[in-house]
Amino acid sequence: MSSSREQIFQSLQRKDRPFPSAEAPSTYQHMVPLRDFSPEELEAVFIENAQNAACIVHQPASQEEAINTLLELVGEDKIISSWEPGQIPLDGLETALEQAGIARVGEDAMVQVGVTGVDAALAATGSLVLSSGNGRYRAASLLPPVHVAVVSRSQITEDLEPWLAKQRTSGLEAFRQASNIVLITGPSRTADIAMQLVMGMHGPRELHIILVDDAV
Amino acid sequence: MVKRESPKGKRVSLFVTCMVDMLYPETGMSVVEVLRYLGVEVDFPMGQTCCGQPAYNGGYRQEARKMAEKFLRAFKDAEVIVTPSGSCGAMVRHEYPILFENDPKLREEAERQASITWEFTEFIVDGLGINDLHGRLPHPQRYAFHDSCHGLRIMGLKQAGRTLVGNLENATIVPWDNSETCCGFGGLFSVKMADVSGAMLRNKMEHIEQSGADAILSGDVSCLTHMNGGLEKKGSTKRVMHIADVLAEGIRQGKDNGSPVK
Amino acid sequence: MEVQSNNFIPAARIAIHDADLQTAVAMGTDSGFDKRQAVMFADGKDHGEAIRRQAAAIKRNALNSLPDLLEQAEAAMQENGIEVLWAVDAAEANRLVLEIARQHNVRSVVKSKSMVTEEIGLNQTLESDSIDVLETDLGEFIVQLGEETPSHIVIPIVHKTKESIRQLLIEKADMPPTDDTDEMARFARNYLRQRFLDADMGISGGNFVIAETGSLCLVSNEGNIRLVTSQPKVHVALVGIEKVIPTVEDYATLTQVLPRSATGQTMTVYTHMINGPRREDEADGPEHVYVIFVDNGRSKIYTSDYCEALACIRCGACLNGCPVYKVTGGHAYGWVYPGPIGAVLTPLFVGLENAAPLPYASSLCGMCKEVCPVIIDIPRMLLDLRYDLVRMGYTSLDWNLGMKAYAFGGASPRLFSWAGKAAELATKGFKLNSLPGPLAGWTDYRRMPTFAAKSFHQLWNETDGDLEDVDEQ
Repeated sequence: MSSSREQIFQSLQRKDRPFPSAEAPSTYQHMVPLRDFSPEELEAVFIENAQNAACIVHQPASQEEAINTLLELVGEDKIISSWEPGQIPLDGLETALEQAGIARVGEDAMVQVGVTGVDAALAATGSLVLSSGNGRYRAASLLPPVHVAVVSRSQITEDLEPWLAKQRTSGLEAFRQASNIVLITGPSRTADIAMQLVMGMHGPRELHIILVDDAV
Repeated sequence: MVKRESPKGKRVSLFVTCMVDMLYPETGMSVVEVLRYLGVEVDFPMGQTCCGQPAYNGGYRQEARKMAEKFLRAFKDAEVIVTPSGSCGAMVRHEYPILFENDPKLREEAERQASITWEFTEFIVDGLGINDLHGRLPHPQRYAFHDSCHGLRIMGLKQAGRTLVGNLENATIVPWDNSETCCGFGGLFSVKMADVSGAMLRNKMEHIEQSGADAILSGDVSCLTHMNGGLEKKGSTKRVMHIADVLAEGIRQGKDNGSPVK
Repeated sequence: MEVQSNNFIPAARIAIHDADLQTAVAMGTDSGFDKRQAVMFADGKDHGEAIRRQAAAIKRNALNSLPDLLEQAEAAMQENGIEVLWAVDAAEANRLVLEIARQHNVRSVVKSKSMVTEEIGLNQTLESDSIDVLETDLGEFIVQLGEETPSHIVIPIVHKTKESIRQLLIEKADMPPTDDTDEMARFARNYLRQRFLDADMGISGGNFVIAETGSLCLVSNEGNIRLVTSQPKVHVALVGIEKVIPTVEDYATLTQVLPRSATGQTMTVYTHMINGPRREDEADGPEHVYVIFVDNGRSKIYTSDYCEALACIRCGACLNGCPVYKVTGGHAYGWVYPGPIGAVLTPLFVGLENAAPLPYASSLCGMCKEVCPVIIDIPRMLLDLRYDLVRMGYTSLDWNLGMKAYAFGGASPRLFSWAGKAAELATKGFKLNSLPGPLAGWTDYRRMPTFAAKSFHQLWNETDGDLEDVDEQ
């Protein structure tokens, strides 16, 4: 195996650089040109882009109302797939679920609703950042046909570039520690059949975002 | 690339192109007519034949170089070279420096001639700074433009022809969303890959029929020959014309108004 | 995949006469092209072009340090718990995957779309070892059912009409007859569902590898990549060696310019950064992650004058803009990579002599370069490949002789003039109604051109440059 590796590195040797005048960009322009957004503006941009990506955005007036919204989305089901409640910015979630007789699992292929928090929400594209970790099951945002993501307003940031810049300020360690980070922009979809857009392919068919203020 | 100097006041050597020479000499005459109307002195180096693009595009660089050397000799006394073709102009301006980059004797001359080569419409508008020929068409005409690929993407031609034709009285330019789509000529591609070329032509002709224009205008007789060849074979009434011919017609009508120069 | 690129001309002819294919491909490519235009220039033309220049600089800068980046990526991945392997060629890549499969007693594989795995013919290798392989990307799943090959880098079944897809699902997968696209997709989802959950191994490609963090990055819309890289115990990724980029900043640009160019999206639904197998405190994710860096001819391209071709991020924008691809579809190109980039990569991978028509399968219109997010000068490389073909003797005798005659005649104005006169005589006088030799294809689609009675040279000469009072032709 090391000989194949050596062979490949040997084959890559050139006496000159292939692009002598090319350099890394001195400043990286953002894909979406940024203005100085106030938090309210940023939130409005996030909601608009999330909705354009076919997310359904809920804006309950309080944490309590947020929990009711969540329970409505769960409906008659008695079991959901979910991150550990400590990872979701909803006060009293665990109690509310118990009282409603709804069991939580990490992974279950038959469950209809999955509930997660997020690491961040990207306004420019309406995307959610979810990294795996203790109690943050991938399956909850992947297997059920309905994914409910609880986002606290302070998690909204402009775009991917600033989010990565923030990771860099902590040395990219946390970034690397997560075995898997995924940006989710709307429900799954395909246009492979004669360019006709179909929502809900292998991932969830519906993505609900519940926007809350920070839990106290 | 040597910087381009202003061609104002200089003698123009016409690079008429092999297809205009053999198939559409009247288009060559239109070019001369318009340039002389603008007060430009025009000569015609008799030693020119073809710039060598067909050979070059075919990968036959030895043969292309032979023809290019002949071109360089024919135009060695030229101060400004003007050609009614985006693709031929692109060949001299962009490929000649590459063709001769390792030739110590001819590299400098190739670069010189590249730097003094202009396509016809860009010469008038960008070179001479003239937007309006004060011409008039005999009857109202609606034109859509076909942007020949080499002219558009390599020489940056887009607005000059539209400006000149648009300023003719009785000429209306209609927008056409197929203007930047290749017609399928591609030089010898048209016969080497005849079926593909024919299918691209088929698509082009569909869009020509839907254009709402009386005629399509092009800056390249190569594209024009291919498109008209298909339109005629199909029995269509639509035709593609060269911009120079329309401009010449316009100034013949508008000659009473006098030349726009100074 | 077997190479059939020397068959381009007859294969293209068949595609051109296939009315369904013409409709389907035109619709698919027009849609992709229009969406790309809209999103790339949503913030103005200047901004879109600036982003292209930035992406182009990023890829070229990365290629400048490719060996160092590969080393850096390997080290970072190993630190992350990813096992890194190296495959010189297709045979070795296949062997490595088989070894991993055997090691983990793999009987069933779910796979997401990967052009590298098409290059090496991975599915056939696994199946001949009695390993069940299921393509999960909807388009690739349909391709697999139909036992054919994908025809586009991003939209594998762009050449198929809805009706033909419907028929295939009914015949090969027992789908209850329906016309409804939603129902068809739902059927496919259910069909593949359990297989996802039961598979022993997931195989993916890789869109980017970030050297500084050792991250394997992938994009998808369907969610199949998430499933393939999360559900099975073992995940194997095959990645071309040219995919490594230095930093997360580089990644941010490229992972956003890719969907814009490919499908007109600002972000694909799922944008993954995979940093390793599940951590000790995680309850899901694969237990083993392998990354196989595949050369298979890339290093040869790297050290050639065609290195720029390795900047390709496989977005498919050039296919969507290409007027040739629009009428030939992808299969005519005869290998894994169709369209403009395919016309360059195929001869570089499989040898010019095995793909001789492809560099000529272009009118050199330049649209590919205009839409490429990393500004690859495809027309330039096609011209250079044509020169290579001529120099190496892979062009036909009639063209070679024709060109010599043309250059000979072109070097003398007199000869050139006689040739024109002869053509005029032949067409008008002798009513010759097709052009000779290799030029005969002209009249299949176009009327014969009319040669002028007097050339411009002649007219100028006769009137001493005056040109007044010349009879209109």
